[in-house]
Amino acid sequence: MLTAATSPDVPVPSEDDVLAQARAGVPEAFAALVREHQAMVFGLAYHFLQSWSQAEELAQDVFLVLHQNLARIESARHLVLWLRRVTSNRCIDWVRSPRNRREVSMEVVHEPAAAARLQDPMLDALLRRLVAELPPHPRIVVTLRFQEDLDLAEIATIVDMPLNTVKSHLRRSLEVLRRKLADRGHVHGS
Amino acid sequence: MDLERELRQALTRKSPPRGFDEKVLGRIASGEKVALPKPPARWTGYALPVAASLAIVAGGSFYFWQHERQRQMDAEQTARNVVLALQITSAKVSAVQMKVQEISRYERQAQY
Repeated sequence: MLTAATSPDVPVPSEDDVLAQARAGVPEAFAALVREHQAMVFGLAYHFLQSWSQAEELAQDVFLVLHQNLARIESARHLVLWLRRVTSNRCIDWVRSPRNRREVSMEVVHEPAAAARLQDPMLDALLRRLVAELPPHPRIVVTLRFQEDLDLAEIATIVDMPLNTVKSHLRRSLEVLRRKLADRGHVHGS
Repeated sequence: MDLERELRQALTRKSPPRGFDEKVLGRIASGEKVALPKPPARWTGYALPVAASLAIVAGGSFYFWQHERQRQMDAEQTARNVVLALQITSAKVSAVQMKVQEISRYERQAQY
């Protein structure tokens, strides 16, 4: 697979083939899996923790766990689900650990000094910060919903929650985010 | 502002720092192990309500059984008291009857 990427004559192997090679112990195949999914895993961890170094450590841990459990992964599709699930569980464990606790109540969000209309990069940063201040379960639901563009049933499967709980977390989170943005002078539509 | 669109834009996937994959492979090569995070145990969420329900059912059953047993014991005691009262009454009536018979016998003898 890895040579295939450099040679146009050799067909590019599917991700299932790469997975099979990684399971067979080919380090390059495992490295390819890491490169393929690192932005998803690191992104989830970063948006959840809002810490570059903690997200990197957590994402590395996820891939170490993957390496130890490769035999359990049945397909490329299963791999994506497994990575999302393990990353989500690890994110929640991370903030629950007294060592890493950084939880802010849904109702307690710092007020910024200026309420002027922000430019988009600033709005993105503000949104990421407000999401990171949500409680752990609503935060992972919002992150999976908007980073991975998953529907609510898929999120419920990943985080092992009833569908109605996921719906409720998302609805309440969006209400809180809208209110906090409105407090800062951002008018929202839907 | 469309909040959901803004969130999609703000929460895009993010590439980790350069050399991330090498660090992962380095940690694997060093033999480091990381425990698989435990999925949230569903039963813990149900344990308290189930335990409370069982306690209520067990407590209710015990109370009902105890109440029934007490009622049964009271009924048996009442029956025993009635039997005793009847025995006493019967003995008294027998004694009175013997007295009456004795008096009647004396009266008949006096007439002769």
